[in-house]
Amino acid sequence: MERIKDERLQLRNLKNIRIVYIIQTFGILAILAYDLVTKGMDGMTGNPLWAVFMISAVVNAYLMMNISVDHEKQTSPKKGLYISLAVISVLSIASGVMVTLVGSNGIGSGFLIGGIILVCSLVPVIYIYLLRKRKTEEDDEEELSS
Amino acid sequence: MENQVKVSRVGVHLTQQQLAERVGVTRQTISLIEKGKYNPTLKLCLEICYAVNKTLDEVFWIEKESGSNGKN
Repeated sequence: MERIKDERLQLRNLKNIRIVYIIQTFGILAILAYDLVTKGMDGMTGNPLWAVFMISAVVNAYLMMNISVDHEKQTSPKKGLYISLAVISVLSIASGVMVTLVGSNGIGSGFLIGGIILVCSLVPVIYIYLLRKRKTEEDDEEELSS
Repeated sequence: MENQVKVSRVGVHLTQQQLAERVGVTRQTISLIEKGKYNPTLKLCLEICYAVNKTLDEVFWIEKESGSNGKN
């Protein structure tokens, strides 16, 4: 197939891909919902389509961060980072304590769950901090050059 | 969006197909631009202007409509 150079057709192609993506996502959700009803939660998460769905959801969330950073009003990246760090620290400590206190789990499980939550939240927080920092640097450069 | 692509193209004796080949798009795209049904990118606008030996101003400029709020 010849490579499309016409910008209008490239745009059209992207719109078509979006439609296909929507249909595909609905298909995946329908299959997962069927698995959930017939085989239960474990049956659904055991399906490889679950991994596909989760990976695409995570990739989508990270790509959305690029957009939301441009969309949000100018805030200090460091301030945002400190607030987020405080929130995720409180959340992970709280969930660690909850896991230790509730049920028959030992303190080891508490540390493990708390640690996992901390690390998993740390990655997007740092990513969004870097995006905001880059944006502020770009804005500063623009102001200096103008 | 209204523009002077058709007038400019006829002015330099080019058919839609010839102009399309020069700027690297399909004939349908040129047709839609002339009818005002497709908004070309600035890059394509410039390519069209180079092909018809006119400036962006002469081909694509339209006066701001009175009462418009400046958004598109």
